[in-house]
Amino acid sequence: MTASDFLGLDFSRGFDRLAYRHAMLIENPLNSSEYSFPILECFHIVGFALSIGTIAIVDFSLLGVGMRRQTPAQLAKDTWLWTLGGLVLMLFSGLLLFSSDPDMYYLNWPFLIKMVLFVSAVIFHYTVHRKAVASETTPPNGKLVACTSLALWAGVIFGGIFIGFVYPGLNLGRI
Amino acid sequence: MLLSFAQWIQATGFFTALRGSAYAYPIVLSMHMLGIAFFGGMVLMTDLRLLGFAMREHSISDVLDQFRVPKRWGLLLVVTCGILMAGSKAEEYYYNTFFRAKLILLAAVVLHELVFYRGVYADPAALDQAPGTPGTVKTAAALSLLLWASIACCGRGIGYIEPPLDKIHARVHSLKEATLAALCGPSVQKGQELRCCSFNPMR
Repeated sequence: MTASDFLGLDFSRGFDRLAYRHAMLIENPLNSSEYSFPILECFHIVGFALSIGTIAIVDFSLLGVGMRRQTPAQLAKDTWLWTLGGLVLMLFSGLLLFSSDPDMYYLNWPFLIKMVLFVSAVIFHYTVHRKAVASETTPPNGKLVACTSLALWAGVIFGGIFIGFVYPGLNLGRI
Repeated sequence: MLLSFAQWIQATGFFTALRGSAYAYPIVLSMHMLGIAFFGGMVLMTDLRLLGFAMREHSISDVLDQFRVPKRWGLLLVVTCGILMAGSKAEEYYYNTFFRAKLILLAAVVLHELVFYRGVYADPAALDQAPGTPGTVKTAAALSLLLWASIACCGRGIGYIEPPLDKIHARVHSLKEATLAALCGPSVQKGQELRCCSFNPMR
C-alpha cells in the first residue's frame, strides 16, 4: 500500500490545483455567506482607525502639530493600549479576510507590498518609534521618525485599497 | 430633480476626466481611508475620553480643545475625497442604497452637533469642574460613536451594490478591466465602453 492509497488520494491524473482551490474555498465557512466579507471589512476599518489614528496623534505631536500641551511620551502612555487593541482587531479581521481566498492575495502585488510595509511599520513602531517617543526631552530625530511612521502606515492603507483594484497575475476567478 | 443633478455633475469636465483615469479612483479612495484613520482616530479618542474609557490622564478640555482644529482638517480631507468619488460616479451613487443611508446619517451628525453643541462641546472647561461626567455628555459621546461607526460601515457597503447598468450613462475606465484586457487578450475591444468598477470580491 502506497502513501497516497493510505490517504485516499488519487494523483494518477495529476494534482488539480484549481479543483483543490475550489474545494478549499467552499470549505471555508466565511465563503458561505456574502455578508461575512463586508462585515469583517468594517471591523478592519474600525481597527485601523483606532490603531493608525492613535499612532498619528503621537506622530503629529512629535511634529509639533495638534496636541501641544502634552509631550509625545504622555500621549503614548495614554494611547498605547488602544493602539495595540486596534492592531489586534485589524490583524485578526485581516487574517480572516485573507483566508477567504489566499491564492488571490498571494498573487496580488498590492497585497504583497502591503504586507512588507505592514511588517516594517509594526517593527518600526515597537523599536525606533517607541524609543523616540519615550525620551522625555525632544528627540533630535523625532520629526524624521514621525514622518517615517506616517509614511509607512499610509503605505499600508494605499496597499490595502489597491488590492481590490487590480487582478492577480493569474486570473483564477472566484466561486 | 436629484437624478438630473447627479447626471449633470458627473458630466462636468472635471468629473469626466476624473472618471476617465483608472488610477484616480483608487488613489482618492486611499486618501479617503487615510483621512478616516486621522479623523476617525481622533473622533474615537474624544468620544472614549468623554465616556471615561481612554486618555483619562488628560482633562476633557485638554482633549476636546486640542483635537478641535486637527479634526476639522481631517474631516476636510475625508469630505473632499468623498465628494470627488461621489461626483465622478454621481448617477451610480444616486441609485446606491448605502450611499443614501450614509447621507442621512451625515445629516444626523449635523443634528447631533446642533443638539449637543451648547451643552457638551462649547465649554469643555465647565466639564472639568463637574464632579462626574454628566449623563448628557455620555449620551452625546455614545451617539457620536454609533453614528460615525455606522457611517464607516455604510461607506464600505457602497462598493457592494451592483449599479443598475441599464440606467447609467457614465463611462468608467477601470484598472481591473485594463489589467484583464492586457492579460486575457482582446476580449475587451479597444474603444468599447467599460462600465462599473466598484470592487466586489464576491463577484
